[in-house]
Amino acid sequence: VSVLGIGHGNKLLTDLYHCHLTKVYTVGGLFGKATDDFSDTGKLVEKTTFDHITREKLERIVAVIQGTNHKALLMHSNIDMKTQEAYELAVKGLIRPMGKSPPIITAIRCLQFAPPEFQLEVHCLHETQQYLRKMVHEIGLELKSSAVCTQVRRIRDGVFTLDDALLRTQWNLQSIQKAIWDCQLKVRTELEKTL
Amino acid sequence: LRAALRAARRPPALRRGLAKPAGPRSVRQLREAEEAAPVFQYTGKATKRKDRVFVWGFCYSGALGVPSFVRPDAGWKKPRRIQSTPYRLETAEKISSAACGYGFTLLSSTTTDITKVWGMGLNKDSQLAFQRSVRDRTKGYEYVLEPSPIPLPLEKPQQTRVLQVSCGRAHSLILTDSEGVFTMGNNSYGQCGRKVVEDETYSESHLIHQLKEFDSRVVQVVCGQDHSLFRTKKGAVYACGWGADGQTGLGHYNITSVPTKLQGDIAGVNIIQVSSYGDCCLAVSDEGDVFGWGNSEYLQLASVTETTQVNVPRHLPFKVGKIKEAACGGTGNIVLTEEGNVFVWGYGILGKGPNLIETAVPEMIPPSLFGWSDFNPDVRVAHVRCGLSHFAALTNRGELFVWGKNLRGCLGTGRTEDQYFPWRVTVPGEVVDVACGVDHMVSMVKSF
Repeated sequence: VSVLGIGHGNKLLTDLYHCHLTKVYTVGGLFGKATDDFSDTGKLVEKTTFDHITREKLERIVAVIQGTNHKALLMHSNIDMKTQEAYELAVKGLIRPMGKSPPIITAIRCLQFAPPEFQLEVHCLHETQQYLRKMVHEIGLELKSSAVCTQVRRIRDGVFTLDDALLRTQWNLQSIQKAIWDCQLKVRTELEKTL
Repeated sequence: LRAALRAARRPPALRRGLAKPAGPRSVRQLREAEEAAPVFQYTGKATKRKDRVFVWGFCYSGALGVPSFVRPDAGWKKPRRIQSTPYRLETAEKISSAACGYGFTLLSSTTTDITKVWGMGLNKDSQLAFQRSVRDRTKGYEYVLEPSPIPLPLEKPQQTRVLQVSCGRAHSLILTDSEGVFTMGNNSYGQCGRKVVEDETYSESHLIHQLKEFDSRVVQVVCGQDHSLFRTKKGAVYACGWGADGQTGLGHYNITSVPTKLQGDIAGVNIIQVSSYGDCCLAVSDEGDVFGWGNSEYLQLASVTETTQVNVPRHLPFKVGKIKEAACGGTGNIVLTEEGNVFVWGYGILGKGPNLIETAVPEMIPPSLFGWSDFNPDVRVAHVRCGLSHFAALTNRGELFVWGKNLRGCLGTGRTEDQYFPWRVTVPGEVVDVACGVDHMVSMVKSF
């Protein structure tokens, strides 16, 4: 999912950027290898065994990552923790950093596990592709093995999901017009909610 | 002709050609190199998870058990007053039970070795028994800076196991499986279960008292500030110690020096858990009811009575569901229901933001603060614990949440401010149990 703006839409793009909405990725990984740029096309650094890894261990590590990132979320949101409104927002789960911040993962879970391959669904803020690959590498290290990232696919960007996305075959004027029309309402409600 | 053939058949001179240039390796060479690379094994399938102990809080009392915080052993180290994040403590055995008192800690293990209990921290009332000083063999230590073995006068030291330990303000209780309960420390109010001796000096005392006369085997011991509670297998509760706030629950406000059975609303009820830390006590029955007695100056028992001291156990009619576990702090109380919901009441920082300071009726803390969400719908709180002015909750995922007053870094969040709603503590491992004290905490953790 890649969002493009046309004409006046560019202004809307900057507004959407300031909303700081989460993006959702499916990240595929492979155990047993470690490379220098954390993906499977890089130069090999090390090979390790991975037969001791079970789905339970992976889910435990993933839960810990989610926990520490949740803490980072609260800390970078620059809200004073001693106020009642901070408590109300924390209960609803709406605390989010509204400015520049390092990459933060809001939610992560394991979709598939077939050793040596695995797939994770990651919801994150302000991330880069290298950060996601590094995260896969760190998961491998935590499990006392090593992992490389084989696939990163964005399935949601703020309000735009896979269903709204147009395929290569649909790049013609009518489909584009229809897509813009369908998404207008969603974008407007989201902007009003946040700003 | 033959000469020419011979010349041709001469072995060609060894030619030194130019070495092939390095260049980028082809795909086939890369694949071969990859397959030929050695495989490292860091851990096998049968590796067991290790048990660890983490401590944090105020260091100068020695209660954390790390001597270098108080007396630095290297030139570059500086004395550390507060350890505000979890710090790993090396222990000789796997610790099964820990208890934090007012400035001291007890750790115990279920081993059958001679040494089963270790203590560290304040020892001015011999709450850690007699610790013989190395420099002067007749005197004892007033502060113990690292986990030191506590010599228990057991009849069968290689068979008896220590099940649980508990610490109060200046006394401690140790529960064994076959030799009753051992008590040590201050006895000026009879909290050790023996007769009060006038003008007794408690410091450097060798006396460890043993209590055996109960209606059945004791399965849980709890220390309040200056009183002790014992819960037996048959579901009865015994108490001894100071009673001016009614915390002994025996119907009077005097001190008791012999453990006596409690009556009132818990007579005949099968109690499955007792809790106390300050001057208020709570007991949970097998049917999910909660009973309270003791101090009620902070509205802990205001739902049943207006008096500020209650000296007979009273049933607290809360409509929160079947209660599984309860914990008492100095001014606030917390219960956990069977569904996994957490309710708080009392006075102080209760965990629902800075606006909720006191309430007599239990208020629920929303589960979303403990990590529950649509993404993780099966996260539940498994245990609740209470220190003097802070609370701790353990989830079934092994995460530890704390909130309350951050007295000398006891919350372990790394910050110095008080925490008004549950906050995760980052511990490298799955937290199995936690013990809360006044200004420090100890947790038992399994590594990943």
